[in-house]
Amino acid sequence: MSLKSGLATLVGKGTYAVLHDVLHRGGTSLPGKLATKIDPNVMQSYAEKYDVILITGTNGKTLTTTLTTRVLREKYADVITNPSGSNMMQGITGTMLTSKVTDKQRRPVALLEVDEANVEAVAKQLKPKAFVLTNIFRDQMDRYGEIYTTYEKILKGIRLFPEATVIANADSPIFMRGNLPNPKVYYGFNHVPATGDMKAPHNTDGVLSPTDHSILHYHFMTFGNQGDYFSVTDDFKRPALDYAVTKLNKLTPISSNFDIDGKTFQIEIGGMYNIYNALAAYAVGRFMGVSADQIQQAFSSNAQIFGRQEAVKVDDKEVTIVLIKNPVGANQVIDMMKTDDQPFSMIALLNANYADGIDTSWIWDADFESLHDTGIQAVATGGERYKDLYVRLKMANFGDHPVYQDLKQIVPAIKTLPTKRVYILATYTAMLQLRAELKQQGYIHTGMGE
Amino acid sequence: MADYKLHTAHLYGDLMNTYGDFGNIVALRYYAHQIGVEVDEKIISLGDDFDPTIYDFVLFGGGQDYEQMIVADDLPDKAPALKQYIETDGPFLGVCGGFQLLGQYFLLADGTRVNGIGTLSHYTLNQPDNRFIGNITIHDEVNDLEYHGFENHQGRTFLGDDERPLGKVVKGNGNNGEDGGEGLVYRNVYGTYFHGPILTRNGNLALHILQLALERRYPDVDWQDKIAAITPEFF
Ligand SMILES: [Zn+2]
Repeated sequence: MSLKSGLATLVGKGTYAVLHDVLHRGGTSLPGKLATKIDPNVMQSYAEKYDVILITGTNGKTLTTTLTTRVLREKYADVITNPSGSNMMQGITGTMLTSKVTDKQRRPVALLEVDEANVEAVAKQLKPKAFVLTNIFRDQMDRYGEIYTTYEKILKGIRLFPEATVIANADSPIFMRGNLPNPKVYYGFNHVPATGDMKAPHNTDGVLSPTDHSILHYHFMTFGNQGDYFSVTDDFKRPALDYAVTKLNKLTPISSNFDIDGKTFQIEIGGMYNIYNALAAYAVGRFMGVSADQIQQAFSSNAQIFGRQEAVKVDDKEVTIVLIKNPVGANQVIDMMKTDDQPFSMIALLNANYADGIDTSWIWDADFESLHDTGIQAVATGGERYKDLYVRLKMANFGDHPVYQDLKQIVPAIKTLPTKRVYILATYTAMLQLRAELKQQGYIHTGMGE
Repeated sequence: MADYKLHTAHLYGDLMNTYGDFGNIVALRYYAHQIGVEVDEKIISLGDDFDPTIYDFVLFGGGQDYEQMIVADDLPDKAPALKQYIETDGPFLGVCGGFQLLGQYFLLADGTRVNGIGTLSHYTLNQPDNRFIGNITIHDEVNDLEYHGFENHQGRTFLGDDERPLGKVVKGNGNNGEDGGEGLVYRNVYGTYFHGPILTRNGNLALHILQLALERRYPDVDWQDKIAAITPEFF
């Protein structure tokens, strides 16, 4: 470590100590900022010490990181990871600076969730052993543009390290682009026979074959543009899977039971997208030498998983709050609600601040129409852009329904709903506002993941 | 109760639907149902034929640059049929990329020139390192109506002499950020950069297009009163 890096590390650690011990703030961004100012390459010294694994993609990287951390801790004493909000360069620098190593025998692991646009910068500093690719869906297009542009940004980081292993979701055709020379580990679904021949629904992105731009067909689909794809014009098809979900046993809104390569696993969270996250965690675990038994153990530990959903009791109501931010995610939440065998109500909340995505047009690609065949008994809409959602649900034939522009009205509104089960779909800032209300009224006591 | 039916074609709906464009058909269908009119939808994609005599409404949405180039390669095969549809007053809504591709050509962000079907006279230039992004309000001076939407485009479109803008920009950037116009009107063709989607947020425009389609398909029915009884959504 150079003298400059040493000083930068010292400043970073000192700032963290003050923030953490004196001010009781968990901030990792300020120490990173200060340390980077003194030495922009401060992180490089960590590249030598850690096995670094970067997890990136538009959806699922937080939960994949959480589950993978749990999996790796079955074998490694030191697995450092970043809090979900700190997935840019500065937050990651802060995470590295404040890490401590306890086991001197075994190489520690740095398992880092990285924002798609920060992959190149972070990789340059930390020289990853592996890149984990979850998926790329249309999301906050106002930020990075297009799914191919987003993937290009990730590729720039991977291309710097042709020796690093790419652990990729093979069900997502976009990851077959780029002709990467890297060693690969592919994971995906093989839960039904590959006998069908279908095309993706019409509001699906990324369905063109990378070879000749023909529209891909699928033997079966899971969700979004994911599934067992093949070309009808040439021999392009999904690659052979190293690790596969081979059976879906029981899916409920709060748990998923499934087989990976014939062995049964359970996670205490619903939604097909979370099975993909668990499968990614499984693939990384196996890559790092964790056994299938240990992974089974890690998944079934009782610790609650804080994903995009959270269960809250409001008097006698069982409320599930789910974050929505793009059509693929919203459709997954809609599919998850369909696995509920009890009658339920839905409140949908839409804000359009920067953190929510300022373009609300994606709500028209969310398939609210499909909820008509379920146990849904009542709907309501709210948030700063309540009118957009109100008209969306009206045009989906849910008729006139209550609207709550002010989120202070939501908690009282929950109590008047006709069902015990209540799903609240909310964009990021709407969710924060709602949680603040629930906290103030004593229904929740901690922050998400606090 | 549906005695009447409208056929809509969603041009390249499996490739060019990046911004909720399908909402435009949802809106049309929602209003049509209220007066007993069924609206169906067929995707016309790569290699498919477009029969200009079948359809009552065509939606051509926006896409990503990559998909847009694949579509541009396929379009020459459909261009004569689309031109026939347009010149026989077929109602048409082109959004963003679909609006650009109706014209002469457009330039991608990297300067690559992509030819449109050339049926209409507008053309689209690029603007390096900038996009027009945000909420937009325009005023349709012909019908004295205000329209709300969200624009997100890199291209700068300039209309030909035989085209007029859909509205005058009140707030936002519009076609090119220079001449104060947004969108285009040519016969029954409407072009716009609104992702909104435009017909869900601007019920009056949806009803106007619905009326054009119904009067063209069923000229013997008086649609004016039926449509006037519908309450348009506007936000
Ligand atoms: Zn656009």
